[in-house]
Amino acid sequence: MLIAWRYRERDTIIQRLDPRARIIFMLTMLFSVIQFWDLRILLIFLGIALLQFFLAKLTWRETRRAWILISIIILVMTTLTFFTGRGGIQYAYTEEHLIRQLGPLSLPIVGWQISVNITVEKIVFAVSQLVRMYAITVMAITIPYTVNPSLYGVTFRGLGLPDKFAYAMDLAFRFVPTLARDFAITRDAQRARGYEVEKLSGGIIAQIRKLAPLLVPVTINAIVGAEDIIDAMDLRAFGVRPRTWVHQLTYARVDKFLIAIGVLIFVASTVLAFMGIGRLWLPAWALAWAQ
Amino acid sequence: MAQFTQFPLSVQNLTFQYRTREQPAIEDVSFDLHAGELLLVAGSSGCGKTTLIRCINGLIPRSYKGTLSGRVLLNGEDASGLSLSRVSQIVGTVLQDPERQILGAHVFTEVAFGLENLGLPRDEIRQRVDETLDFLGIAHLRNRETFSLSGGEKQKVSLAGVLAMRPNILLLDEPLASLDPASAQEALALFRRLADAGVSILLVEHRVEDALGIRPDRVLFMRDGKIAYDGSLDGAMQVMDYRQVKLPAPVVIERAAKVPLPAFEPAIKANGRDPLVIFEDVTFAYESGAEVIHGVNMTLRQGDVVAILGPNGAGKTTLVKHAIGLLKPSHGRVLVEGTDTRKISVAQIAHTLGYVFQSPSHMLYAPTVREELAFGPKNLGFSAEAIEAGVDAALDAVNVRGLESYPPLSLSFGQQKRVSIAAILAMHSKILVMDEPTAGQDYWNYIAFMDSILQTPGFSAILFITHDLDLAICYANRVVLMHDGQIAGDGAPAEVLTDFDLLERCRLVPTSLLRANLEHLSVTGRFLSAEALAHALVDRKR
Repeated sequence: MLIAWRYRERDTIIQRLDPRARIIFMLTMLFSVIQFWDLRILLIFLGIALLQFFLAKLTWRETRRAWILISIIILVMTTLTFFTGRGGIQYAYTEEHLIRQLGPLSLPIVGWQISVNITVEKIVFAVSQLVRMYAITVMAITIPYTVNPSLYGVTFRGLGLPDKFAYAMDLAFRFVPTLARDFAITRDAQRARGYEVEKLSGGIIAQIRKLAPLLVPVTINAIVGAEDIIDAMDLRAFGVRPRTWVHQLTYARVDKFLIAIGVLIFVASTVLAFMGIGRLWLPAWALAWAQ
Repeated sequence: MAQFTQFPLSVQNLTFQYRTREQPAIEDVSFDLHAGELLLVAGSSGCGKTTLIRCINGLIPRSYKGTLSGRVLLNGEDASGLSLSRVSQIVGTVLQDPERQILGAHVFTEVAFGLENLGLPRDEIRQRVDETLDFLGIAHLRNRETFSLSGGEKQKVSLAGVLAMRPNILLLDEPLASLDPASAQEALALFRRLADAGVSILLVEHRVEDALGIRPDRVLFMRDGKIAYDGSLDGAMQVMDYRQVKLPAPVVIERAAKVPLPAFEPAIKANGRDPLVIFEDVTFAYESGAEVIHGVNMTLRQGDVVAILGPNGAGKTTLVKHAIGLLKPSHGRVLVEGTDTRKISVAQIAHTLGYVFQSPSHMLYAPTVREELAFGPKNLGFSAEAIEAGVDAALDAVNVRGLESYPPLSLSFGQQKRVSIAAILAMHSKILVMDEPTAGQDYWNYIAFMDSILQTPGFSAILFITHDLDLAICYANRVVLMHDGQIAGDGAPAEVLTDFDLLERCRLVPTSLLRANLEHLSVTGRFLSAEALAHALVDRKR
């Protein structure tokens, strides 16, 4: 059975908005923010995302796990970019100002030897990337906590997707927390058989193979669960004709205003980017670090 | 061309063989169902009950492929010529596990789902949903999230989702399996009301005793895919095998007295009564702050065979997970052989305490049953010889010998369940803990493996969580009743289960076996299974 995100009713300005307007706004923010590397502009987007988060009256306690998870992902990605230099050198800057050279370092697990040049550009790019990813994820994680799960399907239908795709999106949204629950049950069941995931050893392939006791049951359960869902839908005549969506969504003035703001920001961002504004910003004081 | 009969459902010479099987799942099945008739279909696993239901509701041949012959007529029309949407308006299906059927995030959207698919106007959908919720007495659940409902509530909500489409035939596939006894009684009363209101009901259930309370109009007993009996309830009582389906205790006592009693001698002996697991003032609250266990004190001792009973949500599983250290108490402590579970890992506790989870599919992963069974002992660092010996003993204990080279995930649910229990047995734990060991198992199988486990030497104590009062009567020497996160009763079955007010509070319903045991307690001195009771009474007469 699919479970839902930890949604609860809150009488906030964010929850009173039409979910379609919120998704459109989120998409406009996403497509705007990815056009910039300038930390000053990215901080404005992060500010908008945090404003939405606080207006939704979400607490640290209820979102703690999500914050920890996305922070781990963002920090890993940013660190990798910083050490490899890939990403930035291709898109954001062409020359680098060296601060210090580290190395050669030996990478754990694979044992590769690498030298790392610490440059002003790499540092500024890493910070910008961090802010950019936080701006996007904070904007996105607010949605599952504040959109009624019963409205997922009708929201996507209202955004123009056909019935079947809209309901598939509804199921897919709820599939994520369901997968997390199944994973936790399987982890507990295997721990009760003396399995300790934290004590995995050997090379990468060996370690992945040793994850089978966790990955196989979760995957098989997801497949079997999907078959159950299909049977349950078939038994209640899903997809045989255009369906009625019993919940109705109507745009209020504030929703239209939000969409307009979103579109305006996107257009403005596109124009600025086209004019070459918003590329990686290197503060003069940071350049002074360089040798 | 439509053929007119007087029956809402007519099954004629139906045979179906799944594409992947070598034998037909059902063979030459024929019967009619009258309007407002409640037909009980009984039989053990593999008798073809579920395949029959799939043939009637249209999933066969649409979703499950194979060779089908014979006909299913719905209101006189051949079902093969009807669209699935038309079939779903005539036939409603409630599956064994409501969790596999509920799709909506909230009760209202769940009940409205089928009506939305039929494209009905919004006002009519709202009206039908509210009418159905009122009829089932669950209007108060309208805005609740479905995943937060209890088992009984989920069952009623899945029934509501089907009834809202106003079918005139209802197929109920073991609808009592996941319910506590009181919820099962409520569900049964509801089915009777529906039949009295004119709905034709086909109720598949191997716990025949439970279904008797609603006086089925007719009984169909299936064996090996064929109809072995079709007739009245009284006749069925004499024909059905009481080891394959669960019959009322007086019937079993009468019939079992004439056949030899199978040997059963529990291996656990209460020598020394040393404490093995001690729960000291255990309180547990989830991250959200909700406290689910309130100050529990309990000691599991050497020689105990404990049945933990109580309604859904009473905290049974939460309490027991503390014993293996998967949960740590918010206050108080749990000692396993004298060591605080906070100070040792789950893997260390697993040397002493084997824990069988409720759902086998959450733990089975290996390419073969043998490797699956060796996984736990390997993790615990057993020698190759000890692993081999443990695996062999476990294979025999749960009757899965012959399946060693099969992938566990390709087995039937009942076989998977037994493999999951064998996987823990192979670890040679002193204490065996099982969460709902009989869930999803047919009567014959769970009696067989409970007999076998209780007779397996090596355990110092066994603890199992169950909804089945008779399981506690037959196998436990101690019963713990839980209610609302606390222990409401703890003692020998003959002491605790005599308090009917307490049973009612814990949503348990006295069974015919309990009543028969109470009636003869002065003779037997302890609770016995129906077969053992029959022989005890015969011996006394002699």
